[in-house]
Amino acid sequence: MSAPVVDAPAVPATRDGGPAGPAWEGNDPAERRARASQSFWTAVVGVPAIFSVLRLGVEAGGELQTTLLLVANVGPVNLLAGFLTTAARLLSTGLVAVFALGAVLRVSVERMPAGARRPLFVRWVDITPAWFVVASFLLALVTWQLLYLPLLIPAFVAAFQLTPARLHEQVAPRLLLLAALFVGYAWLLAPTLRDAWRQGELLALLLLVAPPLLALGVTGPLPAAVIRPLASLTEAAVLAMLVWAALPVISTPVLPLTVTTVESTPGVTEDVRGHVVTVDDVNVVLLQERGGVRYVPVDQVRAQVLCPSEEELPRHRLRIRDFHVEDSLLEGTGRRVRPVHRIDAACRAVS
Amino acid sequence: MKNSSPRFRSVATTLAVALTLTLAAAAGCDNRQDPPLPSVLDKLRESHIDGQPKIRVGVAATEPLMGELRNGTYVGFDIEIARYIAASLGYEGDQRIEFVSLATEDRIPALQGGVVDLVVSSFSITEERKKQIGFAGPYFVTTQEVMVPNRLKDKIRTIEDLRDPTYKICTSGGSTTEAELEKHQVKALVVKRVGDCVKGIREGRYDAVSSDETILAGFLSQYPTEFEIVDMPFGTSETLGIGVPIGDPALRDLVAFFLDKSYQQGRSGISSPWLTAYNRTLGPWMKGPKAQPQPLDVPKLVDFDDKAPRR
Repeated sequence: MSAPVVDAPAVPATRDGGPAGPAWEGNDPAERRARASQSFWTAVVGVPAIFSVLRLGVEAGGELQTTLLLVANVGPVNLLAGFLTTAARLLSTGLVAVFALGAVLRVSVERMPAGARRPLFVRWVDITPAWFVVASFLLALVTWQLLYLPLLIPAFVAAFQLTPARLHEQVAPRLLLLAALFVGYAWLLAPTLRDAWRQGELLALLLLVAPPLLALGVTGPLPAAVIRPLASLTEAAVLAMLVWAALPVISTPVLPLTVTTVESTPGVTEDVRGHVVTVDDVNVVLLQERGGVRYVPVDQVRAQVLCPSEEELPRHRLRIRDFHVEDSLLEGTGRRVRPVHRIDAACRAVS
Repeated sequence: MKNSSPRFRSVATTLAVALTLTLAAAAGCDNRQDPPLPSVLDKLRESHIDGQPKIRVGVAATEPLMGELRNGTYVGFDIEIARYIAASLGYEGDQRIEFVSLATEDRIPALQGGVVDLVVSSFSITEERKKQIGFAGPYFVTTQEVMVPNRLKDKIRTIEDLRDPTYKICTSGGSTTEAELEKHQVKALVVKRVGDCVKGIREGRYDAVSSDETILAGFLSQYPTEFEIVDMPFGTSETLGIGVPIGDPALRDLVAFFLDKSYQQGRSGISSPWLTAYNRTLGPWMKGPKAQPQPLDVPKLVDFDDKAPRR
């Protein structure tokens, strides 16, 4: 993944304030920067766009005609909004990982052998405006599941290089401040940690306890020997993560899941589990969950209910101050606005 | 903290970065695993009712307030509980429930023979029955009481009064009540059904009837101006449960889970399906307020609404 080391005569970089980076053969830094910027923004905009279109194909069950039906009925705004609601978590994870790793590698880069090319993530961090980094972290803050939210602490500390030394110049107040932060964190999580211990959820326990401690040491710089393997490894890992995590995102439905009760002959009702593609004066077009499109005449529809999908089942029984650990801050807040969520019986009956 | 030694700091940083990445990877893997606990949906798929268009529930048709067929529709506390359980299992509305009227002695054979999927019919949980069928519950605790006609309501107030040979006490044969009266040295006239006792009192042949509180409340609701239930300190209480086939533990678990869900709702102060059923049927006729008993052997299942706030 990492670019090859170029042994061309190094031209000292002229970037203001930045560490002296080696230049790409014959190109001036401004052009290099522009190119990196281009690749970065292409990724940020292009990946979601491509995913959105791929999802339609997956949603249609791989059928060309069904895909075309979806394309005809799912507007670009709906598609993008649908994508953002389901993929914001993945997107912010990717960005946070890049910025955190890039920042750590950037402070370490001065130890790299002269003439070496700056790792990809470092170049991306170089050209990313600070507001975008902050926005990515905010997106992660509101969309990540609470259980994984502590991981954002070391990531944030790394991305903004917040060493403990920046808390206070003297050691004693610094330690006091740190102790206060840790006590506050422990107070917030104490009941959850106790439950996790009782339920034997060791990974959950580790995920809640370890990140703030790790945050003390992640800021860098890294030893020279580690930089290059780490850069290559993490680039590969982030890419692999994106691909791996993208699979469920691609297969997450774009349209809401419903159960429609259809009375095709008098007295005989049938439940159709699927997604409503469109409704017109004549038909309700249903994309059935088990595959295939079904046109149901509007006057045969007796009832329709919204159902949760199986992927939404919780995996843990832990709560942080009554927020379920698998909810994001957004979802948790939403549940407080509309607290009672009843599952309609029809959702259970059809499997 | 670590400024003292740059070398130490480098190693610490490497370690911290590596551990953070490992933790993130572990979190990613954890996120993709199947839930460790079974879900309601898993249990539904395991149970024999999976895929059935209707659920068949065995109920009583002649017990006022508990299970009664009145003008072609079933009414009563047991019926309401049966509707709640059926709706929770995915069978909402009477068009998806097939009520099967069962006599007392047919309840176990009907479950064993696969005639019904559930029995909600004042089914007392006993050790003997547990060997033949599965029970979820209890969903009700009844005690033994005495019902007297209005003309005697000031005279029969205690168990001591019942021992008075001038009063003729009636009860149904083979019931737990009969044994309990004997234990308290009360001579009782034993008939086949509690209804016969009530009829006898109205005709002046008996002076009091003793039976389960719920059964007496049922007759009281039929003749509200003629009788009164007298609270007496009999020792025994009976717990009512929902019967399921012994070969379907998944269904038993589901029924227990939904009874517990109602129990938890009632505890948190909001109205529960149980309380609604009780207030609509038994409530007005019972002495003193009642609460849902805690169901036993409730499995831990995950469901879609687990994430909802608890307070």
